[in-house]
Amino acid sequence: MDKHHITALLPEYLDNLLSERQRKNVAAHLKDCKVCSQELDELKTVFTAFEREKEMIPSDKLRTDFFEQIEQEKQHSSKVVSMNTASIHRKNNWATNFLKIAAGVALLVGVYFFGKQQQAQRSGKEIAQLTDETHAFKQTAMLSLMGNKSASKRIQGVNFIAEFPEPDEAIVSALADRMLHDENTNVRRTAVEVLSEFTTSETVKDSFIKALKTEKDPGIQITIIQVLGKMQEKKAAAAMQYLLEQDDTQPYVKEELELVLPNII
Amino acid sequence: MEKSTDEILMSKVANGNLDVLKILFERHHKHVFNFLHKMCGDRMLSEDLTQEVFYKLMKYRSSYNNGKFVSWLFTIARNSLNTHFRRVTNTYDDLDGLDYKWVAEEEEKKDFSDLHLAINRLDPSDRELVILNRFQEIKYEELAEIVGSTPGAVKTKVSRALKKLKTIYFQNS
Repeated sequence: MDKHHITALLPEYLDNLLSERQRKNVAAHLKDCKVCSQELDELKTVFTAFEREKEMIPSDKLRTDFFEQIEQEKQHSSKVVSMNTASIHRKNNWATNFLKIAAGVALLVGVYFFGKQQQAQRSGKEIAQLTDETHAFKQTAMLSLMGNKSASKRIQGVNFIAEFPEPDEAIVSALADRMLHDENTNVRRTAVEVLSEFTTSETVKDSFIKALKTEKDPGIQITIIQVLGKMQEKKAAAAMQYLLEQDDTQPYVKEELELVLPNII
Repeated sequence: MEKSTDEILMSKVANGNLDVLKILFERHHKHVFNFLHKMCGDRMLSEDLTQEVFYKLMKYRSSYNNGKFVSWLFTIARNSLNTHFRRVTNTYDDLDGLDYKWVAEEEEKKDFSDLHLAINRLDPSDRELVILNRFQEIKYEELAEIVGSTPGAVKTKVSRALKKLKTIYFQNS
């Protein structure tokens, strides 16, 4: 050991890291070896320089920046824990967004249909008004026609009624009046035919029963009997019985009556 | 808590107590910063990298294996620096051999001590060992862990590096 330079051990020697035995050996060598002791002196100088080397101080920004990163990481970690609520929140957001869109679409559609309905209502009203006007016009025309002296005009007036889906009482009574009192057989017959379309009306039924008594024309009598037979009108039975008993009633009318009467009763 | 070892503190950090990292930061950030500054001579870069080191410490806290904290810390610091210079040299391929020798501006050089200037003339691997060993007082066992070698080999390398440094130092002065 003594014969060799021990420069490799000098740092450890200075740092006191050598074992007791090694340290003694190095110390012994240094006493005799100028090369190694000079080496040691130089190394000591360098080590002193190391010790004197000022420590650089980083700026405070480093600390504040890093502590901020810690806080962010904390939030991030807690976010990981509350992942579910976060996703629910997102879902909610998504749901509300969806609802917003749905509400927008609903509003659009709603407004469209509302506008459409308004329009339809308005035009519906207009059409109803026009129809009413037409009906009123036709009614007036029919009523005036029925008052006409010409039998054919009166028939034309009676036929107009067929166009009324639900004629009012004024028309029905005017028609019944024609059936009961018109001097022309054809007008009366047409009135019967038209009235047979409105058998649901009580006025019409009563008129038929009344006409059965007053009517003298056998053809019309038979038509009335047939209509009443179809209606199965029990109130008509008495009138029919009366007609059956009259002497001036035509035999084929009586036959018709005998045919229909059992069905009614 | 303030007197606990680095290892105990770091294991607390690994378990999610991030505030403990502040204690470790106070204990070690100057060392990391000074190591980096001696290595690259660039103050701003050293600060950035120091922050990066502690950020990585936090980010990869769960991978802490309860080994020597200082070894782990300086391994990260060393890797951060290497990554940085690899990136820089990749970006500036033309500046061949830039390595991480001398990044600081000429003006800043005046502020460096003779010792610092001498250290800067060492090879990066020698410089690293000298700085870690002398300034950070890192023992040979830990130094071996950091550089991926054996304590014996590191001891020899440090000794040789110091000899080189001594030569350079006395040439200048």
